[in-house]
Amino acid sequence: MLEIQNLHAAYGKVEVLHGISLEVPKGKVVTLIGSNGAGKTTTMRAISGMIKPASGRLSLNGIDITGMSSNKIARSGLAHSPEGRRVFATLSVTDNLLLGAFPRLTFGRPRGDVEGDLKRIFDLFPRLKERENQLAGTLSGGEQQMLAMGRALMLNPDVLLLDEPSMGLAPLLVEEVFRIIRELKSRGITMLLVEQFAAAALNVADYGYVLENGHISVHGPAEQLKNDPAVREAYLGAAH
Amino acid sequence: MEILAQLIVSGIALGMIYAVIAFGYQLTFATSSTLNFGQGEALMLGALVGLSLVGYMNYWLMIPLVLIFGAMQGVFVERVAVLPALKTKSEFGWIMTTISLAIIFKNVAENIWGRDDLTFPSPLPTSPLQFFGIRVLPMEILVVFGALAIMLAVEIFNRKSIYGKAVVATSNDRDAAGLMGINTGMVITFSYALSSMTAAFAGVLVAPLTLTGATMGVVLGLKAFAVAIIGGLNSGMGVIVGGLLLGIAETTTGYYISTGYKDVPGLFLLLLVLAIKPAGMFGKSVIKKV
Ligand SMILES: Nc1ncnc2c1ncn2[C@@H]1O[C@H](COP(=O)(O)OP(=O)(O)OP(=O)(O)O)[C@@H](O)[C@H]1O
Ligand SMILES: [Mg+2]
Repeated sequence: MLEIQNLHAAYGKVEVLHGISLEVPKGKVVTLIGSNGAGKTTTMRAISGMIKPASGRLSLNGIDITGMSSNKIARSGLAHSPEGRRVFATLSVTDNLLLGAFPRLTFGRPRGDVEGDLKRIFDLFPRLKERENQLAGTLSGGEQQMLAMGRALMLNPDVLLLDEPSMGLAPLLVEEVFRIIRELKSRGITMLLVEQFAAAALNVADYGYVLENGHISVHGPAEQLKNDPAVREAYLGAAH
Repeated sequence: MEILAQLIVSGIALGMIYAVIAFGYQLTFATSSTLNFGQGEALMLGALVGLSLVGYMNYWLMIPLVLIFGAMQGVFVERVAVLPALKTKSEFGWIMTTISLAIIFKNVAENIWGRDDLTFPSPLPTSPLQFFGIRVLPMEILVVFGALAIMLAVEIFNRKSIYGKAVVATSNDRDAAGLMGINTGMVITFSYALSSMTAAFAGVLVAPLTLTGATMGVVLGLKAFAVAIIGGLNSGMGVIVGGLLLGIAETTTGYYISTGYKDVPGLFLLLLVLAIKPAGMFGKSVIKKV
């Protein structure tokens, strides 16, 4: 499980996160919602070590990961499917997926059944199987998103961070993404989910946090947030 | 006709040397967007260390030791000149630091091996072979195959092994590679090791054909830089074609016009490519979908 205590983060001198605390218990799906620029992506980046937190404490399975580099955090069992997908454009779909398992293939984490997991990812994302030898840069946006999620899953992570997996996708694909998130949840994968479709995110999540200008304004069980008048007005009114 | 064929054959050997050094520029550029402007000095050090070693062993046993030396020299360059510049986020600091280090290497070499050019004993017979009236030195054949072999080996490593794929991933997107658990700092250090290793290898390949000395890398490094720009900083095919083009242009100009002008076609080619296709003949912009 993932615990964040009083996290502050900044870009240069501009502080963006002003002391965030949240918790992602084992086997649960937690969602972080908030308007554009609230600091959701920054929170994800600080957790996975893409940026160094200014202060605060992060722990993964009880181990302090504050200030560790992103590659060490990944090897500790945290996978991050970043905003904007960030697939490796000049590598094939299969190579992208294998790189997701890099720590397992290089003695950084227990190897387990990498080949079997690769097959299971292809079962979960049949479109990727059809394009296994295609270069990732030539995939459609939706396919790249599937690849980014599949690649993160190849770590066999203890905690999975998903940053806007439905961004820029057609409605049918958005549904597909949520179907997969639900499927992952049923397999017991611990997730922290950031989504623009707050209603859908709260439907799949167990617990939710609302981020406003770098502060957590409200948090509670997903059911409760869905019925909170302030949350409904600000985040669920315009959403589907 | 026969003379032209002869000039082309000599140009090919020279061109492959340019190609290998240019390939070395590409290796570090891919992972870190930085270049080692001391690439020519890496070649020179490889050649001189090799020369000292052949006093104690034969040429073929010397090669692996020179490769190890080259790799260590590359790590040194990265740690001393490049890493500090990247850490301070100084965008062009590495240019000054790698050039300075190159000058220091040249001075050190002058102190150890002297200022005079030395002769590197050829491991192969020095009498040329005849093919349809064209004379080819056995050493020239070795240069061509050796150059191709080392480039091919790196290419296979990148495509087939998980560590090579990690190098390619780092070149694609360093932050995303970090999220995969790849230590991208180590990847950059490794690319410097590989880059200097290929240059050192080029050094012991070319040394028996030319004069060996502290200044031998200056012009070679500069011309290979032109080849890297001509061929494109991200195209393996580009440096081979660019290298051959430059090598052949030089030998033919040297013969038909004047040896005094043999450096002109390279410069001309460079200006032409920069004007028409600044990414290089084979340079490609990576496909990105948003
Ligand atoms: N690399 C950066 N450099 C400087 N400022 C940044 C950088 N990335 C984000 N910011 C700023 O930090 C704040 C939070 O950005 P962040 O990307 O975390 O928001 P977000 O909640 O993910 O928004 P969105 O819903 O649009 O993805 C914004 O004001 C943004 O302008
Ligand atoms: Mg965001």
